Amino acid sequence: MPLIGRVWAGARSLLIGLGITGRHSVRRPVTLLYPHQRPDVTHWGGPIELKTFAATGTHDCIACNACVRVCPSDCIDIEGRRPEGTKKMRATKFLLDFSTCSLCGLCIDVCPTDTLQFSTRYDEAAYHRPDSVNDLLGPYGEDPYLSGKLT
Amino acid sequence: MLGGLRDLLAGAIGHFAATVLLGAVVIMTYLAFNVLFLIWLERKVSGRIQRRHGPTEVGPHGSLQTVADMVKLLGKQILTPVATDRFVYVLAPLLIFLPTICLASLIPLSGAEAFADQPYGLVVIIALSAVSVLAIFMAGWSSNNKYAVLGGMRSVAQVIAYEIPVLLAALAVVLVAQTLSLRGIVAAQARGVPFILLQPVAAALYFIGITAETNRSPFDIPEAESELVGGFHTEYSGMRFAMFFFAEYTNMLVLGALGATLFLGGWLGPWLPGPVWLLLKAYAVIVVMMWMRWTFPRLRFDQLMTFAWKILIPVALVNLVVTALVVGGAG
Repeated sequence: MPLIGRVWAGARSLLIGLGITGRHSVRRPVTLLYPHQRPDVTHWGGPIELKTFAATGTHDCIACNACVRVCPSDCIDIEGRRPEGTKKMRATKFLLDFSTCSLCGLCIDVCPTDTLQFSTRYDEAAYHRPDSVNDLLGPYGEDPYLSGKLT
Repeated sequence: MLGGLRDLLAGAIGHFAATVLLGAVVIMTYLAFNVLFLIWLERKVSGRIQRRHGPTEVGPHGSLQTVADMVKLLGKQILTPVATDRFVYVLAPLLIFLPTICLASLIPLSGAEAFADQPYGLVVIIALSAVSVLAIFMAGWSSNNKYAVLGGMRSVAQVIAYEIPVLLAALAVVLVAQTLSLRGIVAAQARGVPFILLQPVAAALYFIGITAETNRSPFDIPEAESELVGGFHTEYSGMRFAMFFFAEYTNMLVLGALGATLFLGGWLGPWLPGPVWLLLKAYAVIVVMMWMRWTFPRLRFDQLMTFAWKILIPVALVNLVVTALVVGGAG
């Protein structure tokens, strides 16, 4: 009887389907509840940040303005000052207007001291343009070269 | 507790009026709560099956999500398209859940309690449960929308086709229990075993039949979203739309409870009180229906009809005849 055979095969396939969904329903959900749980990102080119070197414990930005000149979006603003008795400039202001940054990475390529890198931050939305200006020197506090602790 | 309240009310407005009033209030309240719970449960079950969380934000584990949705629906504008048959269009959402409320009152909650205990309760239930298809067709027809009419017509064809195996499956139970009273059917199971063991074929037929009758996947072609833009309720908005949802989930509970009564021993069970057991069994049936909905693809219309007329009804008839012969031989 082909009909009975087909009904049996169909019923069996339905039970197999129920088994699959049943097995999955008791497993852990794969959805990440995003604002509450944040994924750890390792490979991601977020807004640029200054690299901290282990030897000095601080960044190595010499305010050479190479990144400012190469930036196609004109979104970097740097000011620097020469510490007493040294030749090397130190940055006193490093602002990145992320609302115009296109993440091209030219500033990272051109940096002579290799102190720029992409960060792994990923949710940079803001309600107002001034809110998306990043102060890259913000995390560093008082500069040890400018205050004379390092020479 | 309900009995005491009824006696208190009966002094003021008479026994019959007190019973009706109390029954209506309790049933309506519970059914409204049930719809909120079932929609939440449906979303949680579908979430778990798809390895998601389901609603999580509103209330603990998202339990107040449906309340929030209901408030949103209450605030929505109720649109009436210009070309509708207005009287029927407004009447349909009201009519659709009246029969299900009547059905809910007929299910015996325990050995002593039922809001309306009828000696022919099963017949009344099966007759009433077909009325909701009229409301669906009214909704589809009066919307004056080709998808809505198609959905309504599909619904009529489907419910008529699947009513028959449900009826025949219930009749097999009646033959074994020798009574049409739902309380009598449970009492017969109290003397022996739950009828799902004596009538496994009838139980399977009943389950497939009620899945089709409540328009749930894989038999949800009257409201097939991807084909019919929602089917018969395409043109409804706001609370009128919510009424159809209300009716669908209420229908699931009532038919699940009827299935529990017919096949799973109704209110019978150790430790817990009768109504709790009945609801637990009904919700178990409903969870299986949800599990199926999120597993199976929708049937094509001709497959649906073939399945009903060429497979379910012959099997149900054979099952009925065999049951009759066995019961007759034993008697």
